[in-house]
Amino acid sequence: MDKALYIGMSGAKQNMLSQQAHANNLANVSTTGFKRDFAQARSMPVFGEHHPTRAYAMAERPGSDLSAGALMDTGRKLDVAVEGDGWLAVQNQQGEEVFTRSGSMQIDVNGLMRLSSGEMVMGNGGPVALPPFDNVQVGADGTISVVPVGGPPDQLVEVDRLKLVNPPREALEKGEDGFIRRRADQALDGPEPPDANMRVASGFLESSNVNAVEEMISNLQLSRQYEMQVKIMTTANENSEASARLLQNL
Amino acid sequence: MHPALWVSKTGLSAQDTNMSTISNNLANVNTTGFKRDRAVFQDLLYQIDRQPGGMNTQNSELPSGLQLGTGVRIVGTTKQFSQGNLEVTEQPLDLAVNGRGFMQILLPDGQIAYTRDGQFQLNADGDIVNPDGYTLEPNINVPENATNVTIGKDGTVSAVTNDQAAPVNLGEITLVNFINPQGLQAIGNNLYKATNASGDPAEGEPGIGGLGTLEQGMVEASNVEVVEELVNMITTQRAYEMNSKVVSATDQMLQFITNNIG
Repeated sequence: MDKALYIGMSGAKQNMLSQQAHANNLANVSTTGFKRDFAQARSMPVFGEHHPTRAYAMAERPGSDLSAGALMDTGRKLDVAVEGDGWLAVQNQQGEEVFTRSGSMQIDVNGLMRLSSGEMVMGNGGPVALPPFDNVQVGADGTISVVPVGGPPDQLVEVDRLKLVNPPREALEKGEDGFIRRRADQALDGPEPPDANMRVASGFLESSNVNAVEEMISNLQLSRQYEMQVKIMTTANENSEASARLLQNL
Repeated sequence: MHPALWVSKTGLSAQDTNMSTISNNLANVNTTGFKRDRAVFQDLLYQIDRQPGGMNTQNSELPSGLQLGTGVRIVGTTKQFSQGNLEVTEQPLDLAVNGRGFMQILLPDGQIAYTRDGQFQLNADGDIVNPDGYTLEPNINVPENATNVTIGKDGTVSAVTNDQAAPVNLGEITLVNFINPQGLQAIGNNLYKATNASGDPAEGEPGIGGLGTLEQGMVEASNVEVVEELVNMITTQRAYEMNSKVVSATDQMLQFITNNIG
C-alpha cells in the first residue's frame, strides 16, 4: 500500500486539530481578557527500516499570544484593566495562584472581592476583603480605598492593594482552565512577587485580543489545505486501483 | 466528527445569549428603574492532546504540546446598578432614590421584594401601592380628606387635611441596601428578591448610612445606554456570523471527504 495515503490522512487530521484551535479563538472573540492561542504544524520524520523520505505533520500549540487587547469603557468602578504588561493575581478554587487580565470584579456577601467566575482576587496579604462601603475606588497602582458606610466622602480609607505581577512572558503558559500561570519548569520557590511599577485603569475592561478576520482566514486556509490532503488520499486510491488493474491484465 | 464544529457551536450559542441580553436591555430602555445587564463570557476548559514536555523519542522531548480549547460559554450576567437619570414627573407619589438603596414592596404572598421603580399610586383604601397594586412597605395610608402629600428626602410622609391646618405625619418610608446588589434575583415587574449572594437587607432612613435620598415628584429612568447597546449588538452579530462561517466551512469539509473518499 502506498504510504502517501497515511501521510495525507495525518495532514488532514492535524488540519482539523489546528482548525479547532482557530475556532476556539473565534468563539472567544467576546471573552474579556482572553489571549488567543497559536497553532502551528511541525514535520515529524517517520523512522524505520526504509528510505527516510516521509514526514508526518503534527499540529501543536507553541503558546498563546499574550499581547494586550483593546480597553473597553464600562464605567463600572470594580472593572479593572491592566495597562501595559503584567497580570492580576487571583486564587482559584484549588487555592492556587493564577493570573488573568479579565478584571470584572464583584463583592460577595462576606465582602470578599471575586472575579465574575468566582476566583478570589489577591491583595497584599491574601484575598482582598472589603468592609461595608458606600463608595469604592481603585487607584492607578491598584490601591483600593473605600468610603465606609455612613462615613464622610472626604475620608477615604485605604483597604488593600491589588496584587499585580509581571513575570517574564516566556515563563508563562495558559492552563487547562484558561488562566495564565508559570510553566512547571519555570516555577518559583514561593509566591510570585508583586510588581510595584504596574498600572491599572479602573472603569475599563480588556477585550479579547483575537483578530476575528485573521482567525477566519486561517480557518478557510486550513479547510482548503484539508481538501488538498483528501485529494492526495483519492490520488493514492486511484494509483492503487490502476496498479490492481494492470496486475489483472497480466 | 470535526471538533471545530462543536467549538463554533458554543460560540454561536454564547453570542445568541448575549444578543438576548442586549435586546432585553434595549427593550427596557423606557422602563422606570431598570438596570442593564452585561453578559460575562468565559473560555471553556482546554484539552491536552499532547502533553508539553512529553517524550517524543528516547532522546528528545516535545518542546510544546497541543492544548486545544473547547469553546466559550456565558458564565453569568451582571446587573449594573449605576444611577439612572432622574426625570421630573410632578406627580406627588412618584419617588426616585438618589443614590444607593431599594424601596420595599410587600408581595401578595407576604414576602418582601425590592425595587427602584417609584411610580406609586393610591388604592381604594388609601394605601400607597406600586403599579401592580402591591403595597409599599412600611405601609403608608393616606386619609381620604388629605389634600397635599409631601414626602421628604428622609422618607417622612406628611399630608395636609381639610380639618387641620398643621400637616399630619403619615409615616416614614425606609430604604434597604445590600452588600452585593448584583446578587439580587430579578423577578420581573421591576422587582428584585434577596438571595444568599446578595446578603441580608440592611434597612435604614434615606440619606443616612450610605443610603440615597428620596426625591418626590421624580422617577429614575432606565440606565440603558442606547448607543452602547447598538454597538454591542453589531459586534455580537458579526461574531455570530463569523462563527457560523466556521460551521459552514467545517460542514463543507465533511461533505468534501464523503464525496471524494468512500
